[in-house]
Amino acid sequence: MSNRLTAQPGEIIDRSTSLSFTWNGKAVTGHQGDTIASAIAASGVDVFGRSMKYHRKRGILTADHWDPNLFVQVGDEPNVRAGSRRLEAGMVVSTQNVWPSLEFDLGAANQLVGRFLSSGFYYKTFMRPKFLWPLYQKVLKKFAPGGRIHWETSTHDAYDKRYVHPDVLVAGGGPAGMGAALAAADNGASVLLVEQYGDLGGHLLWGDDAQRAQGADLAAACRAHANIEVLVDSTVTGRYDHNWISVMQRSHDIAPERLIKARAGVMVVAPGLVERPYVFAGNDTPGVILSGAARRLINLWAVKPGNRAVVMSANADGDAAVADLERVGVEVVAVLDARKGESIVSVEGKSRVSKVALSDGRTLNADLVVTATGWTAPTSLLNMAGDRPVYDATAARYFSNSLPSNILATGGITGDGSTAELEAHGRATGVLAANRALRRRHDRVAQTARSNDPAWDKPAEMADSRTPLNRVPHPECYRSTTHGMVDFSEDVSSKDLIQASKEGFDSIELMKRYTTVTMGPSQGKLETVNAAAVLAEANQVSMAEIGTTVWRPPFAPITLGALAGRIHEPVRRSALQDWHDAHGAAPLLAGQWVRPDHYGDPMGEADNVRNNVGLIDVTPLGKLDLRGPDVSKLLELVYVNKWSKLDIGRVRYGTMVAEDGVVSDDGVTGRLGEYHWLMTCTSSGAGAVWEMLEDWLQTYRPEWQVHVTAVTGGLTSINVAGPHSRTLLERIVEDVDLSADAFPYFSVRQGTVAGVSDCIIWRIGFTGELSYEVHVPSGHALHVWEELLAQGEDLGCRPFGVEAQRILRLEKGHYIVGQDTDGLSKAPTAGLGGLVKLDKPDTIGLPELKAAYERTDLPILVGVQTDDPEIVPEEAAQIVDGGSNTILGRITSSRMSPTLGRSVCLAQVDPSLAAAGSSITVLLADGRRVTATVQEHHAHVDPEGARQRV
Amino acid sequence: MGKRPPKYSAGALIKHGLTRGDWPRMWRRPEMRSSYDVVIIGGGLHGLATAYYLAENHGITNVAVVDKGYIGGGGSGRNTAIVRSNYLTPEGVAFYDRSLDLYNTMATDLNLNIMFSKRGHLTLAHTDSALRTMHWRAEVNKLQGIDSSVIDAQEVKKQAPSLDVSQNTRYPILGALHHPPGGIVRHDAVVWGYARGADVHDVHILQETEVLDIMVEGGSGPGGKGAGGKVTGVKTSRGDISAPIVVNCTAGWASLISNMAGVPLPITTHPLQAAVTEPCKVFLPTVVVSGSLHVYVSQTDRGELVFGASVDPVGTYRVNGTLEFTEELAGHVLELMPGISKMRLLRQWSGLCDMTPDYSPVMGNTPVEGYLVDVGWGTYGFKAGPVAGETLAETIATGRNADLISAFGIERFTEGDLVGEKGAAAVGH
Amino acid sequence: MIVVPCPNCGPRNSGDLRNCGELVPRPDPSTASLVEWREYLYMRKNPADWVTETWYCRGGCRRYFTIERNTATNEIRGQEAS
Ligand SMILES: Cc1cc2nc3c(=O)[nH]c(=O)nc-3n(C[C@H](O)[C@H](O)[C@H](O)COP(=O)(O)OP(=O)(O)OC[C@H]3O[C@@H](n4cnc5c(N)ncnc54)[C@H](O)[C@@H]3O)c2cc1C
Ligand SMILES: [Zn+2]
Repeated sequence: MSNRLTAQPGEIIDRSTSLSFTWNGKAVTGHQGDTIASAIAASGVDVFGRSMKYHRKRGILTADHWDPNLFVQVGDEPNVRAGSRRLEAGMVVSTQNVWPSLEFDLGAANQLVGRFLSSGFYYKTFMRPKFLWPLYQKVLKKFAPGGRIHWETSTHDAYDKRYVHPDVLVAGGGPAGMGAALAAADNGASVLLVEQYGDLGGHLLWGDDAQRAQGADLAAACRAHANIEVLVDSTVTGRYDHNWISVMQRSHDIAPERLIKARAGVMVVAPGLVERPYVFAGNDTPGVILSGAARRLINLWAVKPGNRAVVMSANADGDAAVADLERVGVEVVAVLDARKGESIVSVEGKSRVSKVALSDGRTLNADLVVTATGWTAPTSLLNMAGDRPVYDATAARYFSNSLPSNILATGGITGDGSTAELEAHGRATGVLAANRALRRRHDRVAQTARSNDPAWDKPAEMADSRTPLNRVPHPECYRSTTHGMVDFSEDVSSKDLIQASKEGFDSIELMKRYTTVTMGPSQGKLETVNAAAVLAEANQVSMAEIGTTVWRPPFAPITLGALAGRIHEPVRRSALQDWHDAHGAAPLLAGQWVRPDHYGDPMGEADNVRNNVGLIDVTPLGKLDLRGPDVSKLLELVYVNKWSKLDIGRVRYGTMVAEDGVVSDDGVTGRLGEYHWLMTCTSSGAGAVWEMLEDWLQTYRPEWQVHVTAVTGGLTSINVAGPHSRTLLERIVEDVDLSADAFPYFSVRQGTVAGVSDCIIWRIGFTGELSYEVHVPSGHALHVWEELLAQGEDLGCRPFGVEAQRILRLEKGHYIVGQDTDGLSKAPTAGLGGLVKLDKPDTIGLPELKAAYERTDLPILVGVQTDDPEIVPEEAAQIVDGGSNTILGRITSSRMSPTLGRSVCLAQVDPSLAAAGSSITVLLADGRRVTATVQEHHAHVDPEGARQRV
Repeated sequence: MGKRPPKYSAGALIKHGLTRGDWPRMWRRPEMRSSYDVVIIGGGLHGLATAYYLAENHGITNVAVVDKGYIGGGGSGRNTAIVRSNYLTPEGVAFYDRSLDLYNTMATDLNLNIMFSKRGHLTLAHTDSALRTMHWRAEVNKLQGIDSSVIDAQEVKKQAPSLDVSQNTRYPILGALHHPPGGIVRHDAVVWGYARGADVHDVHILQETEVLDIMVEGGSGPGGKGAGGKVTGVKTSRGDISAPIVVNCTAGWASLISNMAGVPLPITTHPLQAAVTEPCKVFLPTVVVSGSLHVYVSQTDRGELVFGASVDPVGTYRVNGTLEFTEELAGHVLELMPGISKMRLLRQWSGLCDMTPDYSPVMGNTPVEGYLVDVGWGTYGFKAGPVAGETLAETIATGRNADLISAFGIERFTEGDLVGEKGAAAVGH
Repeated sequence: MIVVPCPNCGPRNSGDLRNCGELVPRPDPSTASLVEWREYLYMRKNPADWVTETWYCRGGCRRYFTIERNTATNEIRGQEAS
């Protein structure tokens, strides 16, 4: 049975097309221009789904985006709004909230016990017996509404984002919004006009001939205007501070949805009005629809909404619906004029309305009930700008209260009027918007340094002299003498709300939380006003005293995909990473960087460094080039040790603490020239150290002359370590004397390496071996690396990875900030005793450093060896007090040492255990307690440093 | 002590269903008195729990809980209701574990189903160093008898099949800290349960009553406020109340209230945002947290995914939220679960968090006699509500800080003895 | 994403910058008592009102500068409405 009417004058379907799709497995066809719902309704379907709690049958209610009953699954996309989603050929559409089927749904049993399942019932039961609660929960979960997300097969496709900077952004493409856009554009503003539905026109689209013609003219003018960009099928979803506005663009060429971010000078809010349902018994029965739904079905999609109708009308739109119904041959058996107090009392019917009881006592047979009982002003976007709308009893709706200067409202949200009046108000608003936006644009151009004053004059400030739209009196029609649904998506009735108020949930926010009214997918667009009205009734106060709930963003739901956009979190790669990849390196993601963890044999790699020579790429090491006469003062300030007397050609190790005395970073800094230094710091701390230096130089010591340049990526750092490292380097370094006397430990030289000039070489020993760190301009790094390997072949030169380096440094007892220290570790914990100089006039954290050295209770970092050499305690294994559970420290680093053939550790221990020779108990992850001994040094291998000083 | 409101049960539901009678109010709207023994500022979970335990455990009932709005309108009604006890420091673990105990029996203690869903809690590790911290937490937890262990990626997949555990992602999941007793609770119900429990003892819950000033005498600061002073009462938008004890339980607004007493706090107020999707059939059985990705997610029994993140970087008292929060959130969630790209974000909201430098609360007596604080709850105060109320009530009743809160006193900031919870509390809440 | 006016780069999205919080004067470390020092470290006014705060132009000119922002409204002194 088809409900498709003959051609209607305003229809937007293209009857020459035929789009096939399936609805619950059955083949159906529709036309281009149909929504999913209009096509299904045209095919004769009344029931689209089941309600959330009671699984009541539900049909079309509003036939637009906010329709709470038209959520369907389309392929792998859940919760598609069939009321607004355009039909496409091949769609696989199904009902969501049913089990096992739409016609026969077991959940409907809840209807029978509904009287026991009042709002919040779950808070009052299932508490005993306690062991049954998890079972109840499983059952509750089964009733979760909504569609199914196919996480197994769905993917995150190509999404995109866009930025725009319109002077004026207009939300809503009805007559007022279009008028505003045109006037703003005429006055020199760049305008972005955003319309939620598929075409400009707003309510004019389903209006009479004259309205449609007016709408079409305005739309054509907007599209033709050079200053206006029109976006249809796009929703303004949010307004954030400083007019940062989000727009969701659907039907985009490359992305299923695209997020547009606009920094608008002024936003004009013109979203029109949302029709609200009337509350009476059975108001959620399929066949009870709103006047707007009737008009849209008939006029846009040529769908006959029923055969015998009862209409309740409180306004001109209701009257127009009567005319539309009659025109297409629906028998209107009664028109109840709500302005005269006539109303509907209740309806009966299971899958469709069959009987309607009226306030005059009559009961009529009908299959369609149309109500036109007033409007909700969708003030979301105004709310987001801080407005708290107030209720006007005369017009029976809410109006905005106070708006910031960069937001203007126009159209139905501000009052009533003819098309011409709405357009005129829009135009006046557009003029004002352009004035404010251009003034702002002028300010912003002028504020940008180095730009001269704008070449155009700042317009004089215009007063808001708009003539407000009328507020046409409207009866306050909210609830009949019976109870019915207030929230269709949450199955909350007026009775539930009254009960909640009596239980103490007597403010709108408490009531909302207790009953979940307005918490469903339309977020209150349909329900808020009725809910407030019922609460006012329950509390016996005026609606103005009730207030409304705050509407939160987004105005309409947005896919996670669109919000995420392209996920682009790049990994930093050194100039040598391709080489590592090509040579079998296991990648290690460390912070921002990917690094070679090892090349297959970390123990062997470490061994090779101890015996021959190895190369490791340490580029991620933070590197800052410091120049100027005051660098040594800066170093003196930011490091805990002394720096003033470092000679040119020398390097020194330093530790940084924060103002609270906690160890924050460390590294080696070398003096390359009178006014030129290179600082290194940890990879993860590189950014923070740079910012910290800038802070000191700009904020506290602006008189110091130091220039800081980050060179981490610009210099590729290669550590050449091992007994043969000098021999190797001598083969390819041209102009530096590498002999022990000429280039001693902790020195720096600049020279040419493998033909590459301007390399920096310093002699340090993180691994504990004779070693050189070579910093090469990154463009030539691969050449130097390969040359080192080639020239070192006979010396056993091999690359080593991060794991081997960790083994070597632990054998040598070098701690790692953030691993062997933590967020509370002060200098004494790290064992910096001799290094720290407390007699400086200023150094970061000085008072805390002094205080820390007075304390005797701080944990101490020590070298530890397990008494059983085979046992390698896990990093983070706790050190406990014998057999008890009292924690006295923890293992911070541990490895099997290839050099010693036994396990080695660093640990933070209670000071009572810090003396060399102390025996400690380590609790292993498997629960065993083993003993270990505190060592004299952090270093397990070569504590005297003989190997690195050769 | 031991007073009970009319009982809720399946039987009572059926009776009410049949008779269609009204349920009694959960709490009243009482007339304000001019003096109380204790005035608690803030009708969130902490204020109400404190009032409840004062009455229930100590028989102190001449108590007012004042709130400028409606009860639970602050963080207590906006949080994502994750409860767990797998913190890092022994002080933290002991404290939160007591709270979890109280949650476990709360439904029967308060005779209100708080919908505790003990579904397990996973803190993902994407790096070696994160994994090391997870081990550290697990070890400390185990020593205190907490069910907490590190599991590998395959086991993570079993716990939450929709997670992408393949290793070639930007943030590969290397493992996770698994905490089976953790879960989620219906946050509002907890607030209402305590309100109902306190109201029965004739505690006054004064909604829509804003505290404008705290009256202090004899202090060393301007106007006789500050250290060395003594509290005498509060000025409210509905008149003055005299009281020898005034308790600050105002979370995000804590500094504003404390400045009224002349007691500065180590707190900055930052918004914490959350968001929820449209419902979908339930597919995520546990709570998943990723510190590296600054995101956590759980799915309610109603099918909505609830997301949270770390606090906004810019301090403000604005709670209208930001777009970038939703963008970053979605990006990070999809790194973890690329298959849910088509789910839609339905609503975002924001609440105020009172952040301290060491991610631990500030509790107990202060340099002003009679003025107590229970603040600095940051992003983790929901789970702590019950134990905070219990220990604070004890502190008020006995005059000395309860043992469990000894690490959290305000003096630690002058003594330089901060608590090391940053690593375990920053995103995990 | 509020707009923060960098004195050098002009108005920029806050995401390009870093907020460094309420401006707290640093006491002289050689004379400050520990109590004063820790007040500087930890205690904050945290008003719901105008505050002077520091920003760092991380993605732009790398300048540190201060502005006045109202933490109740996010309005920035001398800038357009929030
Ligand atoms: C989005 C979000 C997610 C969170 N997620 C979690 C989580 O998963 N787990 C967790 O443990 N914690 C979480 N938290 C933190 C938790 O919500 C809070 O720490 C906790 O709710 C604090 O409770 P409270 O009772 O101290 O304060 P609140 O609930 O904030 O109550 C403070 C009350 O003080 C009132 N008040 C303020 N000023 C005045 C005045 N002048 N006069 C009178 N009354 C006043 C306010 O109206 C408010 O009701 C989250 C917080 C947020 C915002
Ligand atoms: Zn700049």
